[in-house]
Amino acid sequence: MLELRRVSKRYSGIPAVDDVSFTARPGEVTGYLGPNGSGKSTTMKMITGLIERSAGHILFEGRAIEDDLMGFKRRMGYVPEEPHLYNHLSGAEYLTMVGQLRGLPARPTAERIDGMLRLLSLYDDRHASISGYSKGMRQKVLIIAALLHNPDLVLLDEPFSGLDVASALVLRSLIQELAKRGKVVLFSSHELDTVERVSSRVIILHKGKLVADDSIERLRSLMELPTLEAIFSQLAVEQDTDAMAREMADLVS
Amino acid sequence: MGGVWTKLVERLPLQFRVLYRQFLLQVIDLEALSIEADIPRFLGQFAGVLILITIFQTIQCLFAAGNPKQPPWVVANLALQKEQSFIAGTMLIAGLIAVVSWDGVFPDRRDAMVLGPLPVKPQTILAAKLAASGALLAVGVVALNFSTGTVLPWVMGGSLFGFLRALFSWWFTMAAATAFLYGAVLTVQGWSALLLSRPAFLRVSALLQLAAFALFLMGWIFQPSFPGLHAMSIAGRFAGKWPACWFLCVFQQLDGTLPSELAWMAHRAWVAVGVSVAGAGTSLLLCYFRTMKKTVEQPDLVPGGSGRRLPTHWGNSLETAIVQFCIRSLARSKQHRVIYAFYLAISFAIAVSTIESVVQTRAARPVTPEFLMPTMLMLCLAIAGLRSIFSLPVSLKANWVLQVTQLRPPEQYIAATRRALLVMSAIPVWLVVAGLSLCFRPWHAVAEHLIFLALLAWLLTELSMLNVSKIPFACSFLPGKMNIQYLFWALAVVFIPIAMTLAHEEIIAFGNTRLMAALLAVPAIFAAGLCVWNRHEARSAVLYYEEQEPEVVMRLGLAGAILQPREATSSLGEGGSQNA
Repeated sequence: MLELRRVSKRYSGIPAVDDVSFTARPGEVTGYLGPNGSGKSTTMKMITGLIERSAGHILFEGRAIEDDLMGFKRRMGYVPEEPHLYNHLSGAEYLTMVGQLRGLPARPTAERIDGMLRLLSLYDDRHASISGYSKGMRQKVLIIAALLHNPDLVLLDEPFSGLDVASALVLRSLIQELAKRGKVVLFSSHELDTVERVSSRVIILHKGKLVADDSIERLRSLMELPTLEAIFSQLAVEQDTDAMAREMADLVS
Repeated sequence: MGGVWTKLVERLPLQFRVLYRQFLLQVIDLEALSIEADIPRFLGQFAGVLILITIFQTIQCLFAAGNPKQPPWVVANLALQKEQSFIAGTMLIAGLIAVVSWDGVFPDRRDAMVLGPLPVKPQTILAAKLAASGALLAVGVVALNFSTGTVLPWVMGGSLFGFLRALFSWWFTMAAATAFLYGAVLTVQGWSALLLSRPAFLRVSALLQLAAFALFLMGWIFQPSFPGLHAMSIAGRFAGKWPACWFLCVFQQLDGTLPSELAWMAHRAWVAVGVSVAGAGTSLLLCYFRTMKKTVEQPDLVPGGSGRRLPTHWGNSLETAIVQFCIRSLARSKQHRVIYAFYLAISFAIAVSTIESVVQTRAARPVTPEFLMPTMLMLCLAIAGLRSIFSLPVSLKANWVLQVTQLRPPEQYIAATRRALLVMSAIPVWLVVAGLSLCFRPWHAVAEHLIFLALLAWLLTELSMLNVSKIPFACSFLPGKMNIQYLFWALAVVFIPIAMTLAHEEIIAFGNTRLMAALLAVPAIFAAGLCVWNRHEARSAVLYYEEQEPEVVMRLGLAGAILQPREATSSLGEGGSQNA
């Protein structure tokens, strides 16, 4: 179980994440939602240890992650928001390097890489330089790298970004499958339809603060709204989107 | 004056001004100098070293000219030698700028993608790129020649007219030599781009860049110096092989002091400049008007098919990962390749000069300080070069993966870095020296020197590892902070005298077991001590990453022009109204 207790992150005194607490349990998919700049990726990076938090505690299976950070990293897989990879390596080289850095045994890892590359239709391009990869191909490399060591905690920050329809469908099922196998899955996405289909619970963030944390069914009945999109609009969208669109069209015409 | 200049500049088309400022920063190969390069500071340091050189040379000339005991012919010959050396230096600077701004003048995929949809004519882009390259060349050439280029013409001129004529000849010659070299590079690049497919060109271009770098540096190092024009005419065809000698003859021709038997060399220079400028002009025009659109259609990279693998064992899995990552980064990243090529080219030149006499005489040579000292210098250059390259990031934003997968204590990462340094610099250079040693005798001296060199390699590696708590290529580094002037003087003032002393001591110790044991013990003890210290420090080290790149905002300084839409529109010409 992943637990965040009153976690905050401030940049020059300005809160990016403000007093956020939630729990992500094994066997369920937790959707992490919020508009741009609401603090989703910052939270993800704090969980991975990439950035330090200003306040609060992060616990995995009841232990603060900093008590055994390396042990925690061994059990965590992470797909970042932006597909930043070493462009001068090929896809196969990058994944092999990740396996080596994780200290995974060489031969089974190579077989696992080949298998996943085949499943995600990247096998034929595995020796091409990543600099030539499309955004979707990069995303697939990141997904493989995150799952290579069979992690117990899977953090997916915008994992559908750039994926084609078929790959997105595979990933959607994969997320559910991972949860079924007892893993903790926390994933953020702007695709509310996907989140609604995949997640058991959603957490909604707005301006760094947590504004909702419940199952989608309960939120629907509590707020008396038919869809997650409607719930999200009510909780996290301040502007009148139609009026804004009209205003923009007026400006350019 | 400033106001007139500003008005003149403002008369230039707005598109040209915008692009010129943009290209001035781009013309330095951003890839070759790291994306976050502090270019103005880097150029400042570069110009600083050149200015220092020219001032020293000028002082030497002034002392010689002001000494009444010096016969006039000695002063004249000194001036001639300086002139030749400055022509060679100017050509080296032009060559280095050509390497650093590689591909900078030609339209690339980014230009085609960004400027293609905008109403900008190809000739505006070409003019802006040429102006930006010209400005950079001018900075280099003027910085190198600014004081010598005034004082030497005065020493050589004799009268006011003579001074003015020599002054004109000096600067014209430097401009011609620069045009020749830069034009030659553009010609080769341009015709390669025209004749080859885009992916093939990109591959060839990287190799050409390295070859050009090595060629210019070695050309400068091996440049012969002639004590006078008579000696040059005696050297005849040998002197005719060196472009710096051609341009020395051009200077003499313009100055009216060229002997008729050397006129053919001046003629060769004129032909070379003509061919070079014409070749560059033609290829540039063809590239801009014929291939710019094709650049977008052709992929920059072809799918790799071979999947060639590096040796899979360089120690444990972490060491293997780091060493392979280092080898691949160095082999595939232009920025790292070019800078390391600088160090390797000097090492290679030293190696060639070491065995040159052996190749000529075809007989084994005795071990002398002339063999021992360069081999130490080669080792130092290779290790110091690679250590500095390790500090250049390959992709800061991709470093997150190293942080997320950091599952072992930092000391293991530092040990892996040490291994990479040994595998990629010390061991190859030691092997090259071992190969070169086959040409030298006696064998016992060769063997003793190789042992000494191995210990020195260990010592230099440990010195390079002091306070290192970074993974190679994974932290930020600005070339502007490199302080090349300090590096230059450190090598010249510290390491060369030490290497000379060590070489001398080695010669004394050969054959004397006690002395040799004492000599070998010195680097061994220091290296072992440093090794223990480094390992102790590594236990408490925290690996340092710098993931966030600094925000770089480029100011075009055109706010005034943009705030005046009427002027802007008029200077934009065709299509300008859309932009304004």
